Amino acid sequence: MRLEIGNFHVKDIVFGDKTAYANGILTIDKKEALDFIRQDEHITEAELYIVKPGDKVRMCPVKETIEPRVRISGGPLFPGYTGELLPVGNGKCHALKDCCVTVVGRHWGGFQDGLIDMSGEGAKYTYYSQLKHIVIVADTDEDFEKREQQKKNRALRMVGHRMAEFIGQCVKDMAPEETEIYELDPVLKRKPEIMTLPKVVLVLQPQSQMEEDGYNDLLYGWDTNHMVPTFMHPNEVLDGGIISGSFMPCSSKWSTYDFQNFPVIKRLYQEHGKTLNFLGIIMSNLNVALEQKERSAMFVAQIAKSLGADGAIVAEEGYGNPDADFVACIVALEDVGVKTVGITNECTGRDGASQPLVTMDEKMNAVVSCGNVSEIIELPPMETVLGELEALARDGLSGGWGTDEILGPSVRKDGSIIMENNAMFCGDQVVGWSPKTVKEF
Amino acid sequence: MAKAILYLNQFFGQIGGEDKADVGSSIHEGLIGPAMELDKHLDAEITHTVICGDNFMGSNTEEAINTILGFLEGKQFDIFLAGPAFQAGRYGIACGHICKAVKDKFNVPVVTSMHEENPGVEMFKKDIYIMKGGNSAAKMRQDIKSMASLANKLIRKETILEAAQEGYYSRGVRHQVWRDDKKPAADRVVEMLIKKVNGEPYETELPVPKMDRVSIAPPIADLSKANIALVTSGGIVPVDNPDRIQSASATRWGRYNTEGTDDLQKGDYKTIHAGYDPAAADDDPDRVAPVDALKAYEKEGIIGRLHKYFYSTVGTGTTQAEAARMAKEMIPHLKEDNVDGIILTST
Amino acid sequence: MVKEFERAGFPIVQMANLIPVAKSIGSNRIVPTISIPYPLGDPGTDKEQQWKLRYHRVGVALEALTTDAKEQTVFKVKI
Repeated sequence: MRLEIGNFHVKDIVFGDKTAYANGILTIDKKEALDFIRQDEHITEAELYIVKPGDKVRMCPVKETIEPRVRISGGPLFPGYTGELLPVGNGKCHALKDCCVTVVGRHWGGFQDGLIDMSGEGAKYTYYSQLKHIVIVADTDEDFEKREQQKKNRALRMVGHRMAEFIGQCVKDMAPEETEIYELDPVLKRKPEIMTLPKVVLVLQPQSQMEEDGYNDLLYGWDTNHMVPTFMHPNEVLDGGIISGSFMPCSSKWSTYDFQNFPVIKRLYQEHGKTLNFLGIIMSNLNVALEQKERSAMFVAQIAKSLGADGAIVAEEGYGNPDADFVACIVALEDVGVKTVGITNECTGRDGASQPLVTMDEKMNAVVSCGNVSEIIELPPMETVLGELEALARDGLSGGWGTDEILGPSVRKDGSIIMENNAMFCGDQVVGWSPKTVKEF
Repeated sequence: MAKAILYLNQFFGQIGGEDKADVGSSIHEGLIGPAMELDKHLDAEITHTVICGDNFMGSNTEEAINTILGFLEGKQFDIFLAGPAFQAGRYGIACGHICKAVKDKFNVPVVTSMHEENPGVEMFKKDIYIMKGGNSAAKMRQDIKSMASLANKLIRKETILEAAQEGYYSRGVRHQVWRDDKKPAADRVVEMLIKKVNGEPYETELPVPKMDRVSIAPPIADLSKANIALVTSGGIVPVDNPDRIQSASATRWGRYNTEGTDDLQKGDYKTIHAGYDPAAADDDPDRVAPVDALKAYEKEGIIGRLHKYFYSTVGTGTTQAEAARMAKEMIPHLKEDNVDGIILTST
Repeated sequence: MVKEFERAGFPIVQMANLIPVAKSIGSNRIVPTISIPYPLGDPGTDKEQQWKLRYHRVGVALEALTTDAKEQTVFKVKI
């Protein structure tokens, strides 16, 4: 399989007469874009903003980020979700780099939503302060979940994905500034010099814990709750085969942009043929019953062993009970002789004294740690807020609270905030961006 | 200039050797023994030296501590230091006791130093900064320097870096930090994997800690006379959540009277736990807090009685320290009603 | 929590689905439940079956409280 991603580096985004890209400038026809957004009958109000690194802007509640792209051969960017089902990972796409479509709730947030600060002290807590954003701030008629802590955010997320498709169209017929190539020969038909290198797999545990449809990550539009682990080509992940869901405290989440740009995958590609032989991805899941967790771990270990893997990386999208899936998977791999490294965040508590993962095992002897979800963060007011800051305190965002005897409310009258890292939008960057680690004090 | 006070044992306090180990505590103005060397490196003036015999501190700990706290009352000091204690066990434990007491009472930073085999390290490393020190007085200058370097940062109220970098024993707490080299996790994980598959040494970023065990409580002798209590971390509460228990990272709990109810009705109770899909628990709260089954066992006489309240909080993201505190707050209520055994359901 | 109750001298049984978690937090008497969102009654089965399962497993938990456990024990359930 060979995937070519043609890049267009966006240096600035402006509103203008026609949605187009030229010389690093992405121009958005605001009216046309808003008309497009409002085609979704569930969108009751929508506004569009451009936000850049260094802007004195705070966004909350952030639902999703997506990289604008276009599939050169035609067809939806996210098959089975924004359009018909078709295989991905082979062929060409064009991508508008250094920017993303970002969806923010006009009023209502939930457990799974997060916050992004584009400047100041808060900017370091999320990767997304470094990107330029085309921000959709919108509300919907989904009144059934307005006051629910767990929200599907169906309409808002869909409008974001469609917008990314819509904007991506403007570079369809242009020549990219550079091209990234991701290519792997079939596992059993690789060159002899590659076959002698250590064989490794990447095991992904995307969020799939909700039993009701509408919350989990979708694989080709299919709810990941309804699958057992399977073998996939890494290009399928990079090329829109999987999208983010709407469950889990936000700093642990992987947004769709995260999937499209998955740094651990790209890093394994860099080493492929040099220090290792990257076999591919075992797409696993996260579960809510021990037997399901153990079943998935068994499937993963069997697939890895049958492929002849010498080593594996296991990454989990979550913390708390998903740690049990994560550790079980590492133990199962070690038990069949696959040398395994885990990558995760920790929950050591505000005081740092709690056990880092809900379950631990001595066989888990190699872990990269990307952050502590419960670290307390205090930030000054921000000039501009997109969305509704009060959502952080009012709507049960995982890192916010309405009242606290000692710390007071998460959102103060002057617009300053105090929150847990939990609510930082995709803040722990377990997909591989995280410059953070966790240390003993 | 900032002020400091140093604690020494009878030997380093120049009172005498093992034969003087029973001597009680005393306080002296100015510098004695190691205080002189420490004073050179410290960005503070050592105003007093406190001395106590190791055996006296060991066998009359409370008295010795109270006397010393009395000495310090009304004195101005910005930091309190003790030792270094090297591998001397009684001295190390004494340094730990007095540092912890001074820190608790006067809320000033404290620093001591011990060799890793000193039993004082295990006893006190969670409470105070103990610098990693040498095994004998031959390392005096070095250990004093390291104590002073951390003390100076504390005096200047600078950020204290991680244990490994500053040279103190880890206090058992883990916090996130930004790496100086900004090396992204993707590089770290792939490099660690390459090392691991090639059998080369690597360093995990999350060492697996040892477990703390509690001895098993004796069983109930006669269930038919026993008073059983139900506790849940599944967040089942009356629908208006009267105790405002948080749906994650909980610090609050509630107890709810179930007298006169045979089971928890949908609409009366619900879950506020955000860590799982609430649909099933809201539809029938007994699925999480099985009051109905326990009431049935009570009626059948299989258990003596069901304690009239069930206790509830939320387990997700709740720290062990908070969970332990909440349990400790529940315990007096359980004791008051002579509860014999507990069923805890978790989600 | 379990450890604090046990430290205070109460025999305690934890009913949990994630046995590895219950073990790692130091629970000594453990009775398995069927899932995280519905530990004691699968909404996909009828009321009668749910009640049978819940009654049975709570019974096993009560029995566990009368058992002189010498080490961390996961009690067997039939349904």
